[in-house]
Amino acid sequence: MSLIRKLKPDRNLTALLVYLSIFPIFGIASLVFGIHTGLTVLAVFLFGFALLYLYAFIRTGNPAQLAVCADGLFFSFMLLILDPDTGWNTREYGMAYFFGILFFGILLVALVITRKFKWRGREVFELAAEAIEEIGDGYTSRPRPVGKVEYSQQEMREYTKFLSRHLIALPFLTSKNTTLVIVKMGEEFGRLLGLSGDYRDATWVNFDADGNVSVHIAQKDYLDYREPLAFDQLCTSLGNLFIDFFELYKKGEGIRAIDRMDNLKLPVLS
Amino acid sequence: MDFQTAAKYASLLSRVYAEDIFALLVNYQAISASEVATRLDLHIKTAQDFLESLAQLGVLTKEEILEKKRPYFRYILNQTRITLDIDLMQVKQEPTHNSLSLIIRERENAGARFVVARSEDYITSVAIWAGEGRERQERKIKLTTPQGRFLYHLPFPKAPPMSVAGIMQKAGVEEHLAPEILDLVQLMEKYGVIEILPK
Repeated sequence: MSLIRKLKPDRNLTALLVYLSIFPIFGIASLVFGIHTGLTVLAVFLFGFALLYLYAFIRTGNPAQLAVCADGLFFSFMLLILDPDTGWNTREYGMAYFFGILFFGILLVALVITRKFKWRGREVFELAAEAIEEIGDGYTSRPRPVGKVEYSQQEMREYTKFLSRHLIALPFLTSKNTTLVIVKMGEEFGRLLGLSGDYRDATWVNFDADGNVSVHIAQKDYLDYREPLAFDQLCTSLGNLFIDFFELYKKGEGIRAIDRMDNLKLPVLS
Repeated sequence: MDFQTAAKYASLLSRVYAEDIFALLVNYQAISASEVATRLDLHIKTAQDFLESLAQLGVLTKEEILEKKRPYFRYILNQTRITLDIDLMQVKQEPTHNSLSLIIRERENAGARFVVARSEDYITSVAIWAGEGRERQERKIKLTTPQGRFLYHLPFPKAPPMSVAGIMQKAGVEEHLAPEILDLVQLMEKYGVIEILPK
């Protein structure tokens, strides 16, 4: 398999900045209001994160989100009960904290390494572009009809659950359409919370009630490719990729779709 | 009657003094512009322009009078009934084999913004840039459902182009709707959204 990447390297720092913002907020709160308040602010922050991941779990069904949520709740609780004058030195607190770090640390690292926590947007884009050698641009904001698939409503429901559980796509359902929005790592909360604008403007693959499949690629995502790939072919390829995944899932071989993405060996946090 | 002639009639008939002038024309055997102007308290130029326009349309004939003073015209009514009869079918764009076999696709970097319907696979409107320089403005064109379906299936820029008839078939647009599709094709070509390629 070719390891030449079609996408530019991931240089999106948004998610990292959100996480790192905890530290200056804690520092400033401690400086201005004292260490008690600083710790409370930190606990509230972690609690907020925990709620976000709980929402992500409810929305996607991905169990890894629940683990991060539990992690946030645990450390939020630990910070709330911490007495900064004596708390750090009590044996019980120290042990609880140490084993908490040990457990959640190992758990989170395992989840990251096994890619159970990874939004698969970049893998999807790489796979879609894999077979396209023709350069030609031709971008348009119009969706492209790419084919027709036979499925029952129940099959489609199960398929969307599979995709969201494995963070391959975020489904948006209406009475006539199942729209699968491709989400890259770092963009998940913007999309989940609706802060990234209308999902119809994002990159998506749509399955309508009659089985028609259409594809829309956002310009931002198209510009993320190193070269201006033939747009027509790229849309067709993205649509066919989700049709292939659907066929695999119908045969009970959904894991093969995950394998294809894992085989790309993209960085775990990109 | 064509649209332009009908528009001239409509413009004349819509004047506030039209009925009064026609009343004079019907009741007088012949009348001059100055007589009309003084009778109806109009400016002579207003009366003259109105009568001249009617004469050009053939409703009046004008007769040159040569007296001691400088010559002038007297106007005589030719007809006592004006009928506006416009055949609307004259502007119908009948699809020809030629127009339906035009090979088209979206133009690269057309700069158009397509708004897709939420519930169906069709485009509801296209926003295009019209005008030049600082006068350039975004113009939004709402589409009918068949037009939206047609545009939805229009080949992408650089993709193999298709004939109008082929796209209609792919989009499931019925043949009798061809005139509105051809109108859209014309408009989109005018604004550089689609390109027509040689066969």
